[in-house]
Amino acid sequence: MLTRRSFIGASASAASLAAASRLFGEPTQDSTKPSPDLEKLGEVAVHEAKKNGASYADLRIGRYRNQFSGYRLSPERGSNITDEVPFVTDQNSFGFGVRVIVKGQWGFAASPLVTSEEIARITREAITVAKANAEAQSKPLQLVPVKAYRDRWTSKFERDPFAISMDEKLELIHSATMSVKKDPKVFSAFGALGFQSEDKYFASSEGSSIQQYVVRVYPLLNAVAVDFKNGISRNRSYSVEPQTAGWEAIAKANLLENAPRIRSEVLEHLAAPPVKPGKKDVVLLPSHLWLTIHESIGHSTELDRALGYEANYAGTSFLTTEKMGNFSLGSELINVFGDRTIDRGLSTVKYDDDGVLTTKFPIIEKGVFKHYQTIRDQAHLIGETESRGCCYADSWSSVPFQRMPNVWLAPGAETVTPDDLISGVEDGILIDGDGSFSIDQQRYNFQFGGDAFWEIKGGKKRGMVSRVAYQARTPDFWRACDGISGPSYWQQFGAPSDGKGEPAQINAVSHGCSPSRFRQINVLLTD
Amino acid sequence: MLSEQEVKNIIDQVIGYSKLPECEVYVSWTEDDFIRFANNGITTSGYRVTQQISISSTTADKRSGNAAVSELTPEALKEGVKRAEDLAAISRPDPEDMPALPAQKYPKLNNFDSYTASARGDVMVPQVKAVLAGALENKLVAAGFIQRSANAVGVGNKAGLFGYHTYTDSSLTHTMRNPEGTSSGWATQSSVALKDLNGEEQVKVSIDKCLRGTKRKKLDAGKYTMIMEPAAVADLIGWLGFAFGARDAEQGQSFLSKPGDSGATFLGEKLFPEIITLRSDPFHPKLASTPWGPSLLPNEKTAWIEKGVVKNLYYDRFWASKAGKKPTTSPGNLVLEGQENSLADLIASVDRGLLVTRLWYIRVLQPKTWQLTGLTRDGVFLIEKGKVTDAVNNFRWNESPAEVLQRTTKLTQPMRVTNDETGSNMAPSLITTDFNLTSISDAV
Repeated sequence: MLTRRSFIGASASAASLAAASRLFGEPTQDSTKPSPDLEKLGEVAVHEAKKNGASYADLRIGRYRNQFSGYRLSPERGSNITDEVPFVTDQNSFGFGVRVIVKGQWGFAASPLVTSEEIARITREAITVAKANAEAQSKPLQLVPVKAYRDRWTSKFERDPFAISMDEKLELIHSATMSVKKDPKVFSAFGALGFQSEDKYFASSEGSSIQQYVVRVYPLLNAVAVDFKNGISRNRSYSVEPQTAGWEAIAKANLLENAPRIRSEVLEHLAAPPVKPGKKDVVLLPSHLWLTIHESIGHSTELDRALGYEANYAGTSFLTTEKMGNFSLGSELINVFGDRTIDRGLSTVKYDDDGVLTTKFPIIEKGVFKHYQTIRDQAHLIGETESRGCCYADSWSSVPFQRMPNVWLAPGAETVTPDDLISGVEDGILIDGDGSFSIDQQRYNFQFGGDAFWEIKGGKKRGMVSRVAYQARTPDFWRACDGISGPSYWQQFGAPSDGKGEPAQINAVSHGCSPSRFRQINVLLTD
Repeated sequence: MLSEQEVKNIIDQVIGYSKLPECEVYVSWTEDDFIRFANNGITTSGYRVTQQISISSTTADKRSGNAAVSELTPEALKEGVKRAEDLAAISRPDPEDMPALPAQKYPKLNNFDSYTASARGDVMVPQVKAVLAGALENKLVAAGFIQRSANAVGVGNKAGLFGYHTYTDSSLTHTMRNPEGTSSGWATQSSVALKDLNGEEQVKVSIDKCLRGTKRKKLDAGKYTMIMEPAAVADLIGWLGFAFGARDAEQGQSFLSKPGDSGATFLGEKLFPEIITLRSDPFHPKLASTPWGPSLLPNEKTAWIEKGVVKNLYYDRFWASKAGKKPTTSPGNLVLEGQENSLADLIASVDRGLLVTRLWYIRVLQPKTWQLTGLTRDGVFLIEKGKVTDAVNNFRWNESPAEVLQRTTKLTQPMRVTNDETGSNMAPSLITTDFNLTSISDAV
């Protein structure tokens, strides 16, 4: 075993940053195949695992980059002078993790030192872990079959956001935040551009060798207004779709064009009267409804939750396995898909972290719960013979497990417009953007706020109201849906860091939908 | 584990590569083992080493860039410095930048346990087996998580500051459910010493809660007297700590702001009962704290609420310089001081109320009032005439943690609790009145 000192020494001699750049550099020969150097390292892990009695092994080498830049504009202490505070951060992480099955039990180990010797050592560590735990397993693991793939894949983007100068990024976000803060009545403004990339190599003992590169973008623009006299503070954000894309998505977000709207709407929000609570119809825009889909449908249809694997932390699910195929989870209008292939989806990737080719599958058809999100070691527990490709680990040092694919609500008929939905409401609320969100551990009882709320009276959108939240029970809420706008209004929003698992991991996931209407929902007055 | 000399060498290397006037380096190294279990068997587990070197570079005109790398090679460190300096060169001057701190005298903390530092997964397996044995014996189903970590952290800068600290930590948490899925119990332990964890003892708590909960009665939402167990209280004080920022309070955005635009706050005023004292105590031997806080100033014991009086607000270095105040430590490592009561004493003193095991999915409803929402989880029991009678359903609640403490009438002694979103704090059980349960949750 390597000692601590030799670990540092080996690290210093390995020139591993150069290795990271070389391993994940541009393809020099066949652009459809993984880097030969990565494949050699994959062979080391597989060979070492087999030699030591593993019935299965996979290696993931990962390089992750997170760049975050932006501005906070807020007043100096005791004056009206605005401090313009910039921030620029660029974080990199590089390393590998090995997963093995020995005696029907998983073992995992990870290290930041990417060398052949360390991969062999860590593979043996993973085997030690598996052996130690095998005595306390309930039943041996079983993996559903998967084809062996040798492939290289890159997510779609036109302009690499990391190649855009920081100067251009700061200039854009500075101009947008300055525009939001232009009215002195706006207390503070915040704008940021986030860029994330994942370079991943996967090799398994079943013959797969897969290299993938994913780029995601996260723009953000926010304003706060304060009424000191009455002790009120209100928020307004520009809901920009986070997505798997390049710099072109930032250009299309029209941050500068939307800044004046945010400026005026935050002041309107500050002056808005409190909502009159009670049962009301709600019309929810995609910038808001994505989060309700995520929490109530996305998480409740995870198989690992339903089977009790997450009982200690994230929770279980009210959708127990006997409900699959027969439980009415919504009205006939509700058709929901799990989909890691959809354009610009945050969890879109060609292969999951089990090496399974990703797919699109129905979760809800005409209101009936049809399928769970699955991975290789759990699909057989509900009698399925293949995984739906929902395995993901958020780092080279994390254990892959079941994570949410993009889960989206199909649009309604072509002819249905958001105005059609509003015109059918006598007393209701239109909600844009996400706010406070909370749901119980079985995904029944939820409560959501929002970013902006407009009263609907007599079929017309009226002025803004404030302090709104709505509370419902998941099946009741989705059964109360009686209108979904057409495909022209369908948008995809999402979460960059959905949490689950122990040790906790994050996942980026998108949820597309069109504006939708729900009848007689319990609307609350907060504060 | 990275030694003090090894951390010093890394920091010296980074500073040696730096060309800008200011360079600050933060090194973190962790070795951890963990085991997850569910459905009465171990599911996944792992051993890993992770490390990060964060570099912050600043120009003479206060432009800063930040970069982080995970490799220790000279090439990687050099690249990290270059990236931070390139970003600084392009960035704009930061009007809130503070000059680099000179050398500091950091306190010595005693939260390193050598057994925990060298333990591996195999010594945690017996604790898991004890929980599983309890589950099987009672025909219940256990799921949980045990972990231990050894950590080395170091800080340094061009102005001569250097600090190094090692600490360990561990926890065992598990949920006990009946096979029908109609009842759930939970228990937790966390300590800097792995040997303090005791699966055999812990499982008695979760089994008791789960078996009591099999015949749940339906209870309506409303305002109730509540006895909150330490895990629930730890979440509430953790969220309360987030709201003690001086900047928000002085700029009218906090429950600690007085109405009007004068910048006046409730600092120094008695907002809570005499029995409430909430402090940060980085020296508490049960907490896995570090000698410095986010500002890199030495951590200090700091009272936020003392005998009901708002004693301090959190001033970072910048805001403190503007306010003419001394910067404070940040509101972490919280200890809510208790009284010499047992949980049984608390239960005996309640005529009608609820006993709550823990809270779940807490989020802010209104930042200004610090009104939160969340749910109860893994055991809610009715108390009638000083005795626990029936298990009841879960609830959603909308409440302010400040108001919960304002209505607190009695406490036990605190114990350490580690929660996922609020970290490790020392929290007692307490009685609070009129807790606002807004709706029933069908979840078990």
